[in-house]
Amino acid sequence: MAIESDVLVVGGGLAGVTSAIAAAREGADVRLLAHKKSTLRQASGLIDGLGYVPPRTPQQEHADYISQQRQDFRDVRGERGDYRGPLQTPYEGIDALPDAHPYSILGADALRDGLALFDDLVGDTYLGSHTERNALVPTFGGAVKPTARYPRAVAAGLASDERPMLLVGFRSLTEFDAGMVADQLSAAGVLFDVRGVEVPFAESFPTDTKITRFVKAFDHDERIEGTPARRALAEAVEAYVDDAERVGFPAVLGDDNAAAVRADLGDCLGADVFEIPMGPPSIPGLRLEDRLFEALDAEGVRLETGVPAVGYESAGGTVESVIVDRMGSDVPYAADAVVLATGGLVGKGLDSDRDGIREPVFGCHVPHPEDRYDWFVDDAFGDQPYARFGVRPDASMRPLDADGEPAFANLFAAGAVVGGADAAREKSASGVSLATGVVAGRNAAIASRERTERAGASP
Amino acid sequence: MREQHRADEADRRRRTTDGGVAAETADPGQPDPVEVFPEGEFDLRPGADDCYKCTTCETSCPVAEVDESFPGPKFQGPEQWRLKRKDEIEIDPSITECSNCLRCDTSCPSGVGLAQMHNTARGEYVDNQLPTLSIKYVRNRILANYRTSARLASVFPRTANFVMNFGPVRWAMEKVLHVPSERDFPEFATQTFREWWAERGGAQVSNPDKRVAYFHGCYANYNTTEVAKAMVRVYEHFGYEILVPPQKCSGTPMFANGMLDDARRHAVTNVENLVEAIEEGADVIASCTSCSMALRNEYPELFDIDGIETVAENTFDALEYLRINEDLQGAIQDATVSGEFAEAFAYHAPCHARNQGLDRQAIELFRDLDGVQIEDVGDSCSGISGTYGWKEEKYETSMEIGAEMFEHMEAAEGTTGMTECPTCGMQMEHGTGYDVHHPLEVLEAALVE
Amino acid sequence: MAPTVVVIGGGATGTGTARDLAMRGFDVTLLERGNLTHGTTGRTHGHLHSGGRYAVSDQESAVDCIEENRILRDIAPHCIEDTGGLFVQLEGDSDEYFREKLDGCAECGIPTDVISGEEARRQEPYLTEKTKRAIRVPDGALDPFRLAVANAADAIEHGARVETHAEVVDLLTDESDVTGVRFRRQGPNYLGEGSEGDVETIEADHVVSAAGAWAGQVAAMADVDVAMAISKGAMVVTNVRQIDTVINRCLPKDEGDTIIPHETTVLLGANDEPVDDPDDYPEEQWEVDMMIDVASEMVPIVENARMIRAYWGVRPLYDPNPGETEDTGDVTRNYFILDHEERDGVAGFTSVVGGKLTTYREMAESVTDHVCDRFGVDEPCRTHEEPLPGSRDQSILEEYMDRFDLRSPVAKRSVQRLGDRAPEVLGSEDPNPVVCECEAVTRAEVRDAIEDVGPDLNAVRLRTRASMGNCQGGFCTHRLGAEVYHDHEASTARDAVDELYQERWKGQRHTLWGRQLSQAMLNHMLHATTMNHDADPGLRGDTVDFAAFDAGRKTDAATDGGSTNGD
Repeated sequence: MAIESDVLVVGGGLAGVTSAIAAAREGADVRLLAHKKSTLRQASGLIDGLGYVPPRTPQQEHADYISQQRQDFRDVRGERGDYRGPLQTPYEGIDALPDAHPYSILGADALRDGLALFDDLVGDTYLGSHTERNALVPTFGGAVKPTARYPRAVAAGLASDERPMLLVGFRSLTEFDAGMVADQLSAAGVLFDVRGVEVPFAESFPTDTKITRFVKAFDHDERIEGTPARRALAEAVEAYVDDAERVGFPAVLGDDNAAAVRADLGDCLGADVFEIPMGPPSIPGLRLEDRLFEALDAEGVRLETGVPAVGYESAGGTVESVIVDRMGSDVPYAADAVVLATGGLVGKGLDSDRDGIREPVFGCHVPHPEDRYDWFVDDAFGDQPYARFGVRPDASMRPLDADGEPAFANLFAAGAVVGGADAAREKSASGVSLATGVVAGRNAAIASRERTERAGASP
Repeated sequence: MREQHRADEADRRRRTTDGGVAAETADPGQPDPVEVFPEGEFDLRPGADDCYKCTTCETSCPVAEVDESFPGPKFQGPEQWRLKRKDEIEIDPSITECSNCLRCDTSCPSGVGLAQMHNTARGEYVDNQLPTLSIKYVRNRILANYRTSARLASVFPRTANFVMNFGPVRWAMEKVLHVPSERDFPEFATQTFREWWAERGGAQVSNPDKRVAYFHGCYANYNTTEVAKAMVRVYEHFGYEILVPPQKCSGTPMFANGMLDDARRHAVTNVENLVEAIEEGADVIASCTSCSMALRNEYPELFDIDGIETVAENTFDALEYLRINEDLQGAIQDATVSGEFAEAFAYHAPCHARNQGLDRQAIELFRDLDGVQIEDVGDSCSGISGTYGWKEEKYETSMEIGAEMFEHMEAAEGTTGMTECPTCGMQMEHGTGYDVHHPLEVLEAALVE
Repeated sequence: MAPTVVVIGGGATGTGTARDLAMRGFDVTLLERGNLTHGTTGRTHGHLHSGGRYAVSDQESAVDCIEENRILRDIAPHCIEDTGGLFVQLEGDSDEYFREKLDGCAECGIPTDVISGEEARRQEPYLTEKTKRAIRVPDGALDPFRLAVANAADAIEHGARVETHAEVVDLLTDESDVTGVRFRRQGPNYLGEGSEGDVETIEADHVVSAAGAWAGQVAAMADVDVAMAISKGAMVVTNVRQIDTVINRCLPKDEGDTIIPHETTVLLGANDEPVDDPDDYPEEQWEVDMMIDVASEMVPIVENARMIRAYWGVRPLYDPNPGETEDTGDVTRNYFILDHEERDGVAGFTSVVGGKLTTYREMAESVTDHVCDRFGVDEPCRTHEEPLPGSRDQSILEEYMDRFDLRSPVAKRSVQRLGDRAPEVLGSEDPNPVVCECEAVTRAEVRDAIEDVGPDLNAVRLRTRASMGNCQGGFCTHRLGAEVYHDHEASTARDAVDELYQERWKGQRHTLWGRQLSQAMLNHMLHATTMNHDADPGLRGDTVDFAAFDAGRKTDAATDGGSTNGD
């Protein structure tokens, strides 16, 4: 067989990259398959660990039916129950999580290890590792949210910093209104003055893909109606700065040269400049994707993109190879151990139809209620069963079958394909990817080594 | 006992038929719609079902990044199709800004058939809205039918090389046809690949068990014949019998210019001849990644020709095929390169290689080859996208897109370029002045005496 | 002094009645407990009937339908998409009934045209191969939102008052006669007047109940018994248009056998089940599955198509002879003017019940004629010849398509929605970015709607279609909120965002599998993870101990910008 590796990682998002590097650092020869672009481009680029322990609805006493009766949204909001949080550290809520949560299965140390690996991979482009405490970061929805690590670009915007703040929006950018975000931050009780202003800027840019257009224009400091982009923006904003010591923009301030863009703007405005993560499209997510893929190269991971894993070959409960669809031809990729990091419902690592939910590559067991109407609750932000769908792992991250036994001796899972977390409400998505990734990658490398040793022992 | 488990066929079928394509072989159980838009065009509206607005396509689009008149792949793809009515023929003219690099298609996590949507929309636009007597139409048609010009040029290659870049002719090209003055026309070989092949007496290896049919495309035949020759020598080194079936242009430049009728005519001939070769036990091999992509991806998406699926399923990139079927890594580990190709290469993965999952194979392969260094210059687009950069009105956009790649090439250690795509090669050379080679040439240097 | 009339109900019939009364000189106030179209009108199939559907079983309704169909094409073209309709006969479907249908149409004056299965499939390629032949009829798609809004707007132009979010809680009576209404505000009206919980009364010379399925409850407030025979119907919304013609199955009576292209989507429906309470009835999984399965028999591609939501409506049926019909499908679709003075001895009060969206105008005309009789007003009806606002000058539409600097399909859809108001609305905002990409709705349209209806994004949605596409508001509710903030407080805008987001969720729950489930999860990640809208401390009133969190390191802030790394 021509294409083989010790560990094959299927999936190129945060969990896939983490497990690939964790395995490589255990000495394995690792190949990573990334079919499409991952959800890194959609997520904010913040690395959440655990921000809340959201209220759990006990297995819903379902009415016989969903009623037509409409509930006022304020009542829905009021009945949502009590969140524990925002948590001051990502570790303090772990004990309160349900048993099926990956953090409960793996323990707080897995999250610590995951964050440590992340810190090592991204170097000084991310901050927050100096403390175990969460940071509160303003969101483009006007709230603040707890996160464990944040890009340098976000640093000056932290809500626990008490310096006065100006937020700037662009009139032609509909994503958020700076004034509205500022008013909402005030409503959240932040301890600093915050104002918002919408300025006209580069209004000839198209409305459709303008975010990437803005990024490129700032990155190369292109001229906008004759003035270099950075200066043009500073000129549009400077009259509003007053006593603000920090000025926040939507996260469109450049890509490769983002630091220089902020520095130039900061010099012109006489204030620290920061970004408010947005997305999709998420520019901080794109930047993180670049860092992570560079790290893969640096760690010697073999990388293949653009082709999907569509099946596998197995012998005696062990995966022998993953079948890759190369433009219509099935090509087996042999590996001693495999990490499944294909994502959840968003990343398409989980598939569904009217009859049920499934994991399409290995057919791993995905527990879910038989009745489709038990997949959701009526509050959009409630304790949604669908949000917790995924494979159930053992403590070494091997997916379990319906009887609770590992589905394969050498298959491990990481990231959103693993169920049990209510990542969106907990603000734990990245942390779950890192913790499960580091454990799955490590164990895959060990499994591969053991297999090689066994093969060596029995000629 | 080894068992094989494949995601069930229904899934696969859904993937290949998403977009409502009228591919006859896709699902015999469910008959195709008879005729969709007038003139038998495809109704791609159902393809919009897959889009969940994640904007990954927009962040992958090299044109939207630099050109504010282009609304991006999502708008020109699933959004425009979803907003369309059957009786509305009008396509937003911005479709001509798309360079057909396919990055949106490659990146889309939901499998939206963006390329197919763009190609079809462009075809409709050209058919219904672009006046056929306009200079642009004529120019695009000439660019799209490169093979015709090349065939003429190669009869008197030296004259052609002179004339094409000669003052008055250049002037006419620029002024009348709006071909940018900055571009040098590619050089024509004094002997085409097919002439060389005939002269050497065709295949030197006969092997009914290992047979490949070589789709050389236009460029390796008329211009970079050394790539085609390298392919022959490398494959013969591994014991393959090579067939060189009659063939026409793959159609890539025609798709990109909305000339679907021209492309279809060529495709009929290609499919016919390649099917014949496949029936003789051959797999189809291409050395140009745009050609392999056309045969594998665009043909079945755009046309409904007997045997087109067979061709798509049995076509491979030249390097990919060896990687799958031979111990290429092992062969490379024992080899050393010296002489002309003992270089540090700045490798650019063509967009169309990306779409086929080929973008990392040269790096992986040559990383282990003694005498050669290779560095990936990143995932930026070269910006030329075939004929795109050959249009005066697109030249600047093309160079702005390419700027990132030029920068990365210059930052790389090597001063020789490497890529699989002939037009990316032109752009690399144009932007940096580096010589540019094809991986097959390096492979030949490593493996063939 | 003009007599004062209160019209209860802001659906098609209520707004149509208010318009007609106002045009004939009455002093009219319309009361609607929710948004316009909040009741059945907003939850119909949007079918502009040719009458073909009733040509065999209910010819009186069929004749009304074809007459009104013709009138609406004249007065409300901007609310109509002339899709045409087909009654398709599949292999195995009765020839005899096919003939009866043709004969029935002929008897009712409905033009028909029989085409072969092949021709039908040429027109609609995704029709099943089993299509034997089809009857072509002048069915169409009717936008009920636009229609009710245009009627209300014209009523206002003629001096009427339109109160939304104003729920009638009692009828004022003198002895037994009705003398006015008492209503409670569910929120400010579209002008921003009043506030939630306010109770007001209106004295009126006459009260017309156009409350549709709720007519029984309104009548009960005057101790009048109106026994409605209401029934529910489920409709499932596809993400794209697989067809561009109204498709009916040519069978005697089958549930869920009509497929209607509507804007960017297709509506599958509807079944017919009796219910007791128009506000509280079950919405069930089997109904959704049935709509998909029945539609797939005619258009197979629908089976695996993406569905974006499902909704239910209640038919305001009235059975004049209860006990004689066995199921609600047999109850006449005809309408009735119930003169409660004559019928029940209660003066000053009339109900209009039954009927269909297609015949709303005729119902309005009849009830207005009746009120005119009561007051001796001798004004002829003009609603059949006076075009509605938006439909007054169709000739200029094409011309406007090219202006406003919008991409062609965006301009097409905007102008289709706005009709002849397009120049007024689209000419006003600069810059005018697209806010809802799925449905191509621009800021100008959104702000125009907010000006009309206030900070109520569901009402904005009904006017503009913003948030009605495949992401179901995932990518635009917050953008719409920002547009609300333009004229309102942040807290008001924030509430509007939550209200719309929850409303969108309601319909999506029913189609939560496959691609819509992926979409729902992506929306959830965006709104809960990225925005923290679920646990927003500003909204929940939590006190946050900011000092207990990471405030950054001074050195980090100071050195930022020095690195050449893009981070």
